[in-house]
Amino acid sequence: MKKILISAQDICKSFNGQSASERVLDKVCMDIYAGDFTIIMGTSGAGKSTLLYVLSGIDRITSGKVCYKEKEISSCNEKQMAALRSREFGFVFQQSNLVSNLTLFENVAVAGYLNKSHSAKQVQKRAGELLQMMQVEKAQNRLPSQVSGGEAQRTAIARAIIHEPELIFADEPTGALNKKNSEEALDLLTKLNEAGQSILMVTHDVHAAIRGTRLLYLDDGKIIDEMTLPAFTGKDARNREEQVSTWLSSLEW
Amino acid sequence: MKKMDYVTLLKANFRRHKVSLCGIFFLIFIISLSLCTVLSVWQNSNTYVRQEMERLGFGAMTAWVSNVPDIEELADEVARHSEVERVGVQKLIYSDYRINGMDSDSEGQLVVYDPAQCPYKIFTESLTGYEENPIAIAPGEIYITPSLKSMFDVEIGEMIQFPIARQGVEKKFTVKGYFEDPFMGSSMIGMKSFLIGEEDYLDMAQIVKESSINALASAGFMLHIFQIEGSTLSPSVFNSLLNDETNLPGYIKFTHSSNAILGFMVLLQNVFTGFLIVFAAVLVVVCMIILGHSISSTIEQDYVNMGILKAMGMTSGALRKNQLLFYSIGILGGMLSGIAASLALITQLLKMTITTTGVSIPGALSIRLCGLSLGVILCLLFGFIHFKTSKVAKITPLSAIRRRGGYKQLKHRSIVPIGQKGLSFWLALRQLVTAKRQYISVCMITILLVFFIALIGRMNAWLGADGAGMMNAFNPAELDIGVQVMGDINREEIEDVIASYTGITDSYLLAMTNVSVNGIDYTANVISEPKRFQILEGRSSFAEDEIVITEFAAKDLNVKVGDSIKVAYRARSKSYVVSGIYQCANDMGNNIGMSREGFRQIGSESPRMWCIHYFLEDKSQQQNVMQALENRYGGNIHLHENTWPGLYSIITAMQLLTVFMYGIVTLFIFVVVVLTGSKMLYMEQKDLGIYKSLGFTAQHLQFAFALRFGVVSLIGSAAGILLSAVFADDIVSSLLRMSGISNFSSHLGAASMLLPAGSVVSLYFIFAYAAAGKIKKVDFTALLVE
Repeated sequence: MKKILISAQDICKSFNGQSASERVLDKVCMDIYAGDFTIIMGTSGAGKSTLLYVLSGIDRITSGKVCYKEKEISSCNEKQMAALRSREFGFVFQQSNLVSNLTLFENVAVAGYLNKSHSAKQVQKRAGELLQMMQVEKAQNRLPSQVSGGEAQRTAIARAIIHEPELIFADEPTGALNKKNSEEALDLLTKLNEAGQSILMVTHDVHAAIRGTRLLYLDDGKIIDEMTLPAFTGKDARNREEQVSTWLSSLEW
Repeated sequence: MKKMDYVTLLKANFRRHKVSLCGIFFLIFIISLSLCTVLSVWQNSNTYVRQEMERLGFGAMTAWVSNVPDIEELADEVARHSEVERVGVQKLIYSDYRINGMDSDSEGQLVVYDPAQCPYKIFTESLTGYEENPIAIAPGEIYITPSLKSMFDVEIGEMIQFPIARQGVEKKFTVKGYFEDPFMGSSMIGMKSFLIGEEDYLDMAQIVKESSINALASAGFMLHIFQIEGSTLSPSVFNSLLNDETNLPGYIKFTHSSNAILGFMVLLQNVFTGFLIVFAAVLVVVCMIILGHSISSTIEQDYVNMGILKAMGMTSGALRKNQLLFYSIGILGGMLSGIAASLALITQLLKMTITTTGVSIPGALSIRLCGLSLGVILCLLFGFIHFKTSKVAKITPLSAIRRRGGYKQLKHRSIVPIGQKGLSFWLALRQLVTAKRQYISVCMITILLVFFIALIGRMNAWLGADGAGMMNAFNPAELDIGVQVMGDINREEIEDVIASYTGITDSYLLAMTNVSVNGIDYTANVISEPKRFQILEGRSSFAEDEIVITEFAAKDLNVKVGDSIKVAYRARSKSYVVSGIYQCANDMGNNIGMSREGFRQIGSESPRMWCIHYFLEDKSQQQNVMQALENRYGGNIHLHENTWPGLYSIITAMQLLTVFMYGIVTLFIFVVVVLTGSKMLYMEQKDLGIYKSLGFTAQHLQFAFALRFGVVSLIGSAAGILLSAVFADDIVSSLLRMSGISNFSSHLGAASMLLPAGSVVSLYFIFAYAAAGKIKKVDFTALLVE
């Protein structure tokens, strides 16, 4: 039986001034399992990103309960959440969101420094290895403004995994990239998942969604369906795309 | 551009940049308030004192005379001089006095109150107004200047004793009230006037006459000499002419021109006005730096909006005009509010200082002077805004659309690597290096503020807790105790009394007497050991034909070291060579120094002219020694130490000035941090969001933010301290020249030097940490794409 990483029970989210009937998330119940490449899909405005952010503790829920490894995180204070982010979670956003005055190398290393379980030398070594793995080692001393969007996003992925998190949260990580860069980023995430990395990704792109092993569909703030897929091998891409498209069509996507 | 467009844009600017506007308003308010207050106090003081001197009938020159056989004949002789219009005579008694157990440092002069001749204003008991009708002074009653309240802590109903002759013959008076003395009422002037009735005057004059050589007091007169209208003679030439062409020199105790008296009366106001004007100028520069930073940040923040507005057809000129209008609201608002607040502050300040200035100065706003000063500042600020907004012209719709955030280059990356240990510090340092332009303004402001408070710190250190620095500047030579023997007391006897408490390490003799130098009256400091003079240039007057003069006397007499000048004492005169320039701020620097042998060339010594200055082995015994001498010899000796009652007013004023400076500096740092900090936080909110997503706590980021200000202010403080070490003494010297001190030289201890820097750095850090509290509210929406 798979280990549950995140468990959400009856979570609701509404923003200031919104009535209960206008909730972005409406009593969502779901579990995220270790080792899965979970994809959240849905129409625009369905609450996909909001769901990702409340599950990761970045945003607060209005009601309900979110647990990480059986510990409730929805009531954690800022310090506890910061510790969780620096040790257990990794984030990849639609835009790379690298710190503008740190080099690519420093952007990755600073995230490693925060997790004090490794020495500075170990962090620097691992940052170098990751940047090599992401194929940005030649640009590692450049600033984010001096590299391409693809290079920046690959660096963001390296930053997300330098502290070996349990779970990576990715919010439309290919949304701002061209096709080639998107493929590279998705390949990296797939490769990480193959190595056992748990990933929760929000996307509205079928091409990205086929990388997942478990797909959830969100509509009007509720999970209305899910499907599972075997691990992505690269050879079955077309077949997976058809499968996912058919599933989405059945949900009137 | 239509009027409504301007209003719409102004409203938008206000919503977006209200913190900047409030900050600018506040800074200008402080500048306007302090400048209007200090300029009004300065001008009102000078104008009022001069007016009152004229109203009371004090002429261009006043001569204090004594031992005059026929005062009417002398007054007539002087009045007949071609350069003299008329002469007014006030009869008086010169006498030392004792209040609340404290001896006066200088003589007092008891003047007969005659409202018909000299209509002094009499204060009401509360010192808030004047009596409407002339008062009658009964025998035994006396009216005093309010400054004696601060100098001797004397109240109405208390007693003042005047020793008139030896063997304890004295006259006691009860303080009945206060009068306004625009002539010597300020606590900066040692000599004080007292108003008494005719009956008491006659009584005292009779005792003086009968006591003959045993008299301690003496009868005399003030001659108020008026120059003819349209006379072009300078006060010193006028003085010289009268000395040469009348019998006045034979009776003179001392003379002063009306300008010199005015200078003494408003000395405190003039010196402090000088400091505060320099401080206000510093604040204007600080304000311009903040304004410049605010304009640059505003343009940076609104870059895209401005590009869009240009695409919609708005011109650069219209956008710049809008910026000018926006900041004008803060500047003009601050100025007008400052003017309004100053009206209350001027009145309050003058009311509070009446026991120091001795006069009730009108609290009106000096409209022309303040208007002119603020007008200049306004033009300066508008010109500066016009210059700083020129960047708007470079914004094009295309550049705005294509604008991409982030730093283009990072030249100094290698010198500030990011380390794991002290991560906050390294990140703060990186931010400083990459966004140094934003911090240059903070650094410059810190330099200016630290420079100024270090300058005040240097003045305080020079002054010392007991004012010894200032006393040394006023005294021709240093001392612990001064003893002037009035009767037949043996010097050895005095020294035996002192020795019973502590040893005497050294002693010398000093006498102060009136001489004329090239025909102009000066005080001569005659000393038994000329090596004790504080020589600034040349050497001391060791030979009997040499004298030393102050820098002011040299300028006034137009002589330099090596020149010869004629010094006269009563009927005898001789030519002396100026051997050096020395420091002595007495009489605002109008004095000379000579050796005992030098004085013997023109005058004869009398035992009573000398004051013996002693240095004690154990200085803590000073008060005990003085008390013992007082108990033993009473009125037969006059004692003084290295202080004078007015000094405490200066020390108090300096302490208040220091508190005021620190207060203003604190407010300025607060505004600087809030203004620059809010802009920085706004521009960095995305990076702050990223750091938070990585696991940095808000507290961590707050600390790193405050650390940047701490580091910048530390650099600025070091530069400010360094600058003050190089320039402060010269600046203070130029301001203190007004009081006759030309060689201000401060020596700061490490603690005194570090205090301004430590205070400023701490304030920056604390305010920045508090301002960075906003980081708690930074959410991750900045990282999300809608």
